[in-house]
Amino acid sequence: MLGYYFHLGLRSLRRNPALTALMVLTLAVGVAASVSTLTILHMMSGDPIPHKSERLLVPIFDVQPAEGYVPGTPSDEQQLTYIDAMNLLKSGQGTRRTALYGIAPSVEPLRKDIGAFTAPGVAPTRDFFSMFEVPFLHGQPWSEADDARGANVAILGRKVAEKLFGAGSPVGQRINVMGQPFTVVGVAGDWEPNPRYYKLVGSDYFGVREEIFIPLATAVRLEASRNGGMSCSQRAEPGFQGILRSECTWLQFWFETASKDERRALKDWLDSYAAEQRKLGRMKRGSPAELYDVMEWIEHENVVGKDNKLSAWLAFGFLALCLVNTVGLLLAKFSVRASEVGIRRALGASRREIFRQFLTESAVIGLAGGLLGLLLAFGALALIGMQNGEAAAVARMDLTMLAFTFLLSVLAAVLAGLFPTWRASQVTPAIQLKSQ
Amino acid sequence: MLRMTNLSKVYRTHMIETHALRGFEIQVNQGEFVTVTGPSGSGKTSFLNIAGLLEEFTSGEYILDGVNVQGMDDNARSRLRNEKLGFIFQGFNLIPDLSLFDNVDVPLRYRGFNARERKERIEDALAKVGLASRMKHFPAELSGGQQQRVAIARALAGSPKLLLADEPTGNLDTQMARGVMELLEEINAAGTTILMVTHDPELAVRTHRNVHIIDGQVSDLVRKGPSLAAGHAAAAAAV
Repeated sequence: MLGYYFHLGLRSLRRNPALTALMVLTLAVGVAASVSTLTILHMMSGDPIPHKSERLLVPIFDVQPAEGYVPGTPSDEQQLTYIDAMNLLKSGQGTRRTALYGIAPSVEPLRKDIGAFTAPGVAPTRDFFSMFEVPFLHGQPWSEADDARGANVAILGRKVAEKLFGAGSPVGQRINVMGQPFTVVGVAGDWEPNPRYYKLVGSDYFGVREEIFIPLATAVRLEASRNGGMSCSQRAEPGFQGILRSECTWLQFWFETASKDERRALKDWLDSYAAEQRKLGRMKRGSPAELYDVMEWIEHENVVGKDNKLSAWLAFGFLALCLVNTVGLLLAKFSVRASEVGIRRALGASRREIFRQFLTESAVIGLAGGLLGLLLAFGALALIGMQNGEAAAVARMDLTMLAFTFLLSVLAAVLAGLFPTWRASQVTPAIQLKSQ
Repeated sequence: MLRMTNLSKVYRTHMIETHALRGFEIQVNQGEFVTVTGPSGSGKTSFLNIAGLLEEFTSGEYILDGVNVQGMDDNARSRLRNEKLGFIFQGFNLIPDLSLFDNVDVPLRYRGFNARERKERIEDALAKVGLASRMKHFPAELSGGQQQRVAIARALAGSPKLLLADEPTGNLDTQMARGVMELLEEINAAGTTILMVTHDPELAVRTHRNVHIIDGQVSDLVRKGPSLAAGHAAAAAAV
């Protein structure tokens, strides 16, 4: 009977076309508003590396002075000092580890037709590429030896590589970075995790694509300027070398463990490391080390702001308002069909069958509303995406949201249809039939 | 086929009680063609609605084709209505935005027949009322008489045992009314029991017997000779 009712539902769309159009439009606008905001929320709060996000861990130490510290207060540190980053790199903890900071070096092509430009990127260690699964179009990550000696090697982003060398492989080619000759060892494919979880501090969260990668040791040797945040709670000696010896935090650190069960052991080791450092006169607050996996880190950094969550709630409030309107319109639509209900009841339809028929018709209206809502949502997302690159990165609908749109629309219509449908099924056939 | 014993129907509002039927007794046998007459407000329609399981009665007993309908839930009443009863109304009561085919299809859908059987029954029923060639037409494209024929086809398609007709010729001119009445007589001759409410005394005399209702009670029974097919001689009236 469901097929029959669905057919009747389609037919019913043509009945009272103005009323039907109004209902479909009301639903579509409500669905589009909620789906647009929810899509953005979904894209912002999605797990960027779901299969290993529980095994990628960020350590944080509280290196701030003890003066004025109230025990138990959470640390507001987000990065590590150079001293700690180097110690952790040498620790052998986890299966892989990397430290990195943002850079924006000047790149001078050897071709004279292209001028020098600034290429935003990161300076990590070799493990970065396997830990975060950076795809390679050409070449491969630099070697451990390159890391150790701070070699002048670079991995380019696809766009920069094409800009400098065309479509072919530039591996082995030379470029000047910060006035130094560098050898290109690889080209990264289109890699743009959203949010940019591996480096959230002091940069955009979304729509960032790295244009260049050079070894951390090389960046430090060349004293490459930071393109990102730094927190200093104590005075540092002047100059880059002073920063390296300071308690300023400016490096993002990541561990990768073989399984999520190793987190506890890693945390214990970090606490023992912090205790050792306290013996050396550092980390005087005595706070325990903190450890966050990817999703915890995204939450900690407040990537999805309260504004976004509030927008989603407001959009759902608007959908609820649209639903109330739809209830009224459905009541009007169904009330003029009381005679049909009477006829169907006389011919053998039970109240339950009438309920099913009219609820299916509501669902068909929901489907039509969903289709139109989807179009409107695409339009709204396109408009939002035109604002800037960061907005464009999150204003994209994926298959999950596509399916959700239809589900939400049908569910909303069915919900709105419950009361009008119940009313329709309560029609007294005898009265309707005689009044014809 | 149908027996009501000491049946009553009371409509209650918070102010008034109205007795539509009281101590109502009737028996209609298989194969009979019975007319129900009476003045307006006498309880004819209440009787027909209760007989058609469209309304519940207040007290008494109602046996339909051997089934006591008292206490049945809505699903069981609807199933019984669908399987055993056919309805013909004064206002035709066709669904305007369904074709003739789809109108006749409605009761068959609720019966759960498969597509092939439904198609056969619809074509057969429309052929019986002479409208086989117009099954794709819509009710508004037909005359009143033709619309009533479609309603008859719809009532017949499910092979009901009892056909309930509420002034089926009330909205038709004399010629069309005659045609519809002849069709009902044919249907009755083929074995279907018919209970027809009418104001028209000419129609009443053409049936096996006439039950007259006044003030919610059967007041008179007019027996007539076997004006219909001889095969109906077995149809005995009793109250």
